[in-house]
Amino acid sequence: MIRWLKRVGWRHLVLLLTVAFALFPIIFVLSAALNPLGTLSSSELIPTGASLDNFENLLTRPDLHYQRWFVNSLVISLASSFASIFLSFCAAYAFSRMRFAGRRIGLLALLLIQMFPQFLAIVAIFIIFTNVTELYPAFGFNTPWGLLLLYLGGALGVNTYLMKGFLDTVPKELDESATVDGATHAQIFFRIILPLVAPILAVTAMLAFIGTMNEFLIANVFLLEPESKTLAVGMYGMLVGDVRNGNFGMFAAGTLLMAVPTVGVFLWLQKYIVNGLTAGAVKG
Amino acid sequence: MTTQPSVTGSGSSGSPDPGLSPRSSQPRVITTGFLVGRVVVLGIVAALALYAVPPLIESESWLALGVVGVATLIVTYAYLSTRHVPAKYLIPGTIFLIAFQILPVLLTVSTAFTNFGDGHRGSKEDAITAIQTGSVTQVAGSPEYNLTIALRDGKLVFLLVNPTTKSVQAGTADGLSEVTGAELGITGKVLAAPGFEVLNGATAAERGKEISDLVVPTEGGAIKANGLSRAFEGKTSKRYRADCDCVTDAETGQKWVADADIGSFVDDNGQALAQGWQVNIGLANFTRVFTNNTISAHFLAVFVWNVVFALASVLTTFVLGMIVALALHSPRVRGKKTYRTFLVLPYAMPAFAMLLVWRDMFNTDFGLINRLLGTDIDWIGQPNTARFALILMNLWLGFPYMFLVTTGALQAIPKELVEASTVDGASPWQGFRRVTLPLLLVALTPLLISSFAFNFNNFNAIRLVTNGGPYAIDNASVGATDLLISYTYRVAGFDTGTADFGFAAAISVFIFAIVATISVVAFRRTRAQEEVYS
Amino acid sequence: MRIRTVGVIAVLGLALAASGCGTTDEPTATPSKDKGNGKLVIWADQKRTAALKPFADQFGKENGVTVEVKEISENQQQTFLTASQQGSGPDVMVGAHDWIGNLVQNGAIDPVQLTAAQKASFPEIALKAVSFNGQTYGAPYAIENVALIRNTELVPTAPATLDDAIKAGKELKAAKKVSEIMCLPIGQQGDAYHIYPIYSAAGGSLFGTTATGDPDPKNVTVGSAESVAAWTKLKELGEKGETALKTSISNDNAIATFAAKKCAFLVSGPWSLVDIKKTDIKYDIQAVPGFAGGKAATPFVGVQSFFVASKGKSKALAQEFVANYVTNKDVALALYNADPRPPALTAALDQVKGTDPDAGKFLEAGKGGFPMPAIPEMSAIWGPFGNAEAAVTKGGDPATAAAAAAKAIVDAIAKK
Repeated sequence: MIRWLKRVGWRHLVLLLTVAFALFPIIFVLSAALNPLGTLSSSELIPTGASLDNFENLLTRPDLHYQRWFVNSLVISLASSFASIFLSFCAAYAFSRMRFAGRRIGLLALLLIQMFPQFLAIVAIFIIFTNVTELYPAFGFNTPWGLLLLYLGGALGVNTYLMKGFLDTVPKELDESATVDGATHAQIFFRIILPLVAPILAVTAMLAFIGTMNEFLIANVFLLEPESKTLAVGMYGMLVGDVRNGNFGMFAAGTLLMAVPTVGVFLWLQKYIVNGLTAGAVKG
Repeated sequence: MTTQPSVTGSGSSGSPDPGLSPRSSQPRVITTGFLVGRVVVLGIVAALALYAVPPLIESESWLALGVVGVATLIVTYAYLSTRHVPAKYLIPGTIFLIAFQILPVLLTVSTAFTNFGDGHRGSKEDAITAIQTGSVTQVAGSPEYNLTIALRDGKLVFLLVNPTTKSVQAGTADGLSEVTGAELGITGKVLAAPGFEVLNGATAAERGKEISDLVVPTEGGAIKANGLSRAFEGKTSKRYRADCDCVTDAETGQKWVADADIGSFVDDNGQALAQGWQVNIGLANFTRVFTNNTISAHFLAVFVWNVVFALASVLTTFVLGMIVALALHSPRVRGKKTYRTFLVLPYAMPAFAMLLVWRDMFNTDFGLINRLLGTDIDWIGQPNTARFALILMNLWLGFPYMFLVTTGALQAIPKELVEASTVDGASPWQGFRRVTLPLLLVALTPLLISSFAFNFNNFNAIRLVTNGGPYAIDNASVGATDLLISYTYRVAGFDTGTADFGFAAAISVFIFAIVATISVVAFRRTRAQEEVYS
Repeated sequence: MRIRTVGVIAVLGLALAASGCGTTDEPTATPSKDKGNGKLVIWADQKRTAALKPFADQFGKENGVTVEVKEISENQQQTFLTASQQGSGPDVMVGAHDWIGNLVQNGAIDPVQLTAAQKASFPEIALKAVSFNGQTYGAPYAIENVALIRNTELVPTAPATLDDAIKAGKELKAAKKVSEIMCLPIGQQGDAYHIYPIYSAAGGSLFGTTATGDPDPKNVTVGSAESVAAWTKLKELGEKGETALKTSISNDNAIATFAAKKCAFLVSGPWSLVDIKKTDIKYDIQAVPGFAGGKAATPFVGVQSFFVASKGKSKALAQEFVANYVTNKDVALALYNADPRPPALTAALDQVKGTDPDAGKFLEAGKGGFPMPAIPEMSAIWGPFGNAEAAVTKGGDPATAAAAAAKAIVDAIAKK
């Protein structure tokens, strides 16, 4: 028993406590979502009334386009996370495997560029995309493609680091022997390295997906058509100004639903994260 | 994952020279895959170039066209050549990085040298137009005409009906002329007139631009369309005169002279017209950062809290995230999937929404926290509790991220290493301290630095929860939880609707310099570690 | 080789950077960009977007043009200004009249020429609100101001003074019938908009007045002796005094608390009725009363308006829409039905009053109100005023708080 406590028990204890910490605000949101009065102060941790009115209102009110927002968010987030993972991984591969002049500076620059306060750059982004909209309406304001391009600007960032760190731990002997066997660098990249790093790809895909789902600052100035908005923008509109009180129940419902795709993506990617355990054992 | 077994096989016969990069080792054989890859990449590049070019030609953006051409050539060269292998991997991401991150930042920084902001957004011409349009008033006693848009010999004409006398006049850029024989509808619009082609609403609307531009000169001023169905005779009291580079008011005789240093029209008393224009003001914004009393007086206090906030956020989230990841990192723990899903939930909820929820939970009288604890603490209203609350919220929001990346990084640590340390007789704690933690830190230090930078500028958390408050009673400018960024936001006037972008950009450059310095120093310290490990 | 790799990246980077700059400068010069003809673009916030859609379509049908209503979720004013400047803004903007000063100084909106008859169809207060520097800059469509909303089951008779209201609230609280004396949103950051009637009733003011009777931004009176007296009054009502004003009550919970019958009085605007009507509360609406023997309470009056964007691509259509279409009674009624705020058009309001007495009561409560000054300097008020408000509500020294707020406001106006 003591042995179990020492080896496994403490783990459960830590996990349960953290899960409690993680869940309690969410339970609060859940109870607000189920409460037909749906206002913050009337919400208790334990729901006082249970009804799905808020969910129904959210999905049926004509001035909200929750379903559209949901689809928009999913499409943009999935597309952007896949594309940015690819771009980012290519760069991470180069940074980890190759030695070239400017490598160190490049890495540092990637880190630094992320540190400029974003809200100021909004005006500049507006300037750029006004022109893009004039020239290429398909990638302009109110289009998911334009937003996607914009998000890909951030593809080389923290995630590149994460992947580079992971790649550094994959032994170079693998690709070098393949080179000796006559494989091209592209073959090594796609056939050997890519499958090996599934866990970190899964983790970064998850991070990118969540990041895009929650992105608000840029999407708010970019998407103006009620139908083209993402969840973060649309739902923020439900909370600002004098509409907040009455919308809170619906907002809580929307927040919960918004977490569903993220959790779905996580559950789907989880097996890759776990499988990583065996992939890691490749190192010999 | 299907290729894995063969990978394992080839991994055992590794070359012993780790300093050698793949491209330098062997002359490459041209394979089908190689060719197909080239064709696909170049096809995409060519297609994009073909898509990008026509609109640029149409709009005569020659410079942009040249740049697209050069960029295409460079990309083509990089992928056709068998050399420059790193470039092949870096180019795609770099293009986006330059276009949508670096370029906006450079444009923003360039505004730091201007007075760009509310009241000084556009060009001098814009300001003059705005001043003149803003001073248009209806000529006293003039009729409010009903307007019909018509064509005469293909040229746009206003058919103006005086609503009281029902007389009809035709207005063109040359002036007014009488129209006879016009047929009027009951709304007072002209239905038909000899010699004119009356335009209906839709056709008229299509010529909206021409209609707004048409000015019919009259004795007292000019007649302009007011929409599509009415016109009025107005006069401009303020006019720009090029000879004195000034604006004069015809009625009061007042005069405002252009001041190119501040981008405003100023009168003798130093009063400026509201509509100004954007001018280059050199380093004035930067010197203002130093001379601004509000900034210099509180900079140190804000800076210290800012560092504390960022450090505390990184440390608490990392420690909790890592502990949880370690707790799960054992084959003995059951229910891993369930745990993981629950642990990721805070991260899956939209952050801005949860910040608001947390703020409400900290409410003194209505908040869940006081109710559960049975306390009566004004959490957000007192400096130290507000700071604590912010760090706690940030912990909640951020630990799943650290949990995820630590989990990812833990996969990469070879079990053999940890096992080896156990064989050597080290306790699990020693094993963790000596093997796992250092390896984790190598992989995660850049992320920790970047998380530090993110939290250093974590504008949302402050803005949505405390907005910098609580404020000391004798200081309504700087609050106890203000970060440099939220403080910038306020000092530059974003809070109030009249923003001073130039000044904000200048402050941001300073903030950037501070964060960058801290990060570079931290980054350099990881260099030694990294080189050893890789 | 190595050097060349870097060179390639650098050249590419420069080239792309230049391409961005290149496209920035050029298109504005080309005349072929006026694609706006035959299309009207309207921007509004979320709530009004939905209300506007149907008759924007109607306008489109009548004029044979397409009308697009777009929704700006956040920061409408700055988004509009930035977009206007870049030429990607709308033709018509819907917003509050207190934006006018800032919009005008940026050359973002044009004056709206209303006929004498049209002007006569609005109450004076609405016209005054949309006027700036002697020009009319918007077509008003709804008037809103706060009033005192009372739970008539808890307090059957309307209080004649604020003192009566607070007394009634205290008695109810002592009898455990309510948990709060009054629901007036303050929050940790203060709320100048909601407190202003009480502040003004206690003698406080924001600006002095110019010779023409307009607010004078050079004379900030937040720290004047009269205003300090008002701050002192707020302190007496605050957490260390009567506890009628509390920072724990904010915009997020004030209406909900009233709707849950936890307080008898709510200071709020017409928008709160949407939530109150969902419950079975019996309520009445009256002007926020003054203190016994004091001045009258003057709420801020806000006027929702349509603006014609200076840089719109279909200005003629925009003027037609703003000057000649939305000033129409049927349109005003349609807007009211979609979003029940008292219409600005007198004829429409008279008709609405018949079916919805609340609208009339709100307007009545705003009669003596103070149109929020549209001057750009007004924006400097909110933050510092709110901080002082929160500070005295918590029991801070009124003179210190007032002086600090006045200083911050003056600094912000002077922009140093």
